[in-house]
Amino acid sequence: MAKAFKYGLKGITGYLEPAERELLRGLIDDVISMLEPEEQAGQDPLAALVGLDMDVRQPSDRALLRLLPNVMKDDDAGSLEFRQLTERSLRESKIGALRAASMGLDRNELSLTPEEARLWSMALNDIRLVLAERLDIRDEADADHVHAMQDWSQAEDVESYLALVYNFTTWLQESLVQSMMAALERKD
Amino acid sequence: MTTTVATGSFAAVDVEERTDTAEQTSTAHLTASDVPWNLVVWNDPVNLMSYVSFVFQSYFGYSEAKANKLMLEVHRKGRSIVAHGAKEQVEQHAVAMHGYGLWATVEKASSAGAGKDGPRG
Repeated sequence: MAKAFKYGLKGITGYLEPAERELLRGLIDDVISMLEPEEQAGQDPLAALVGLDMDVRQPSDRALLRLLPNVMKDDDAGSLEFRQLTERSLRESKIGALRAASMGLDRNELSLTPEEARLWSMALNDIRLVLAERLDIRDEADADHVHAMQDWSQAEDVESYLALVYNFTTWLQESLVQSMMAALERKD
Repeated sequence: MTTTVATGSFAAVDVEERTDTAEQTSTAHLTASDVPWNLVVWNDPVNLMSYVSFVFQSYFGYSEAKANKLMLEVHRKGRSIVAHGAKEQVEQHAVAMHGYGLWATVEKASSAGAGKDGPRG
């Protein structure tokens, strides 16, 4: 069973069982594959190099749209223009955080620098955002309903399994953020 | 990690570069790029309250008290203006918030409420 992250003399540390690491690695790979931009033939290589993507569209997948949201609430044209300039690099920075977290999953004992912890918290957050969309968490009541699923013996279908995975990543992220807060206070 | 970008830094650079030109020019430039914009963070049922507060503290350099106040405003009122400034600045903040997975948008500050409901960095 995983141990909550904690902040102590050795910095931010945590412990994950091999099965839990395997689970997280799978989730990370899923989110990375959602975020990887499709390479289009005929794309201007220079534009791609500087991070521009003139062919970009608002994602049709709700989970991907939650990861890459519109920057303006009631201005689709303005949001699309902003997307052309920034979405590629946003995808890349998210993938970078997810890869960094995945690389730390090669042993049971986790020991994170403040920067690694920051990347981990971002990666866990993106995983949770995707799981939440798949679980149709739209409001606090939905979140409470999912949160009530705590018993792995209840995992009888995909939905309940996803809910348990979501709760596990929530618990892990919460303990990580508490540790990061403690580290931040120590530094002040 | 990036800390708070000094307010008006974009305009300030240009003003400095243009000190030799007529004062009128820099005034005109300031008016164009200093139209205030707000960075709005929206509530969602997924992001942890602790995480949102941590992001406000570590990215904007806000105190714990201020970060918690903004986070609770997001949670209770559904949205909060967490920063404001020139358009380019708040857009940069918005991308950073999206990087953290927070749901953030930018909007032109309404002339009536400009600077009143938003906390100052």
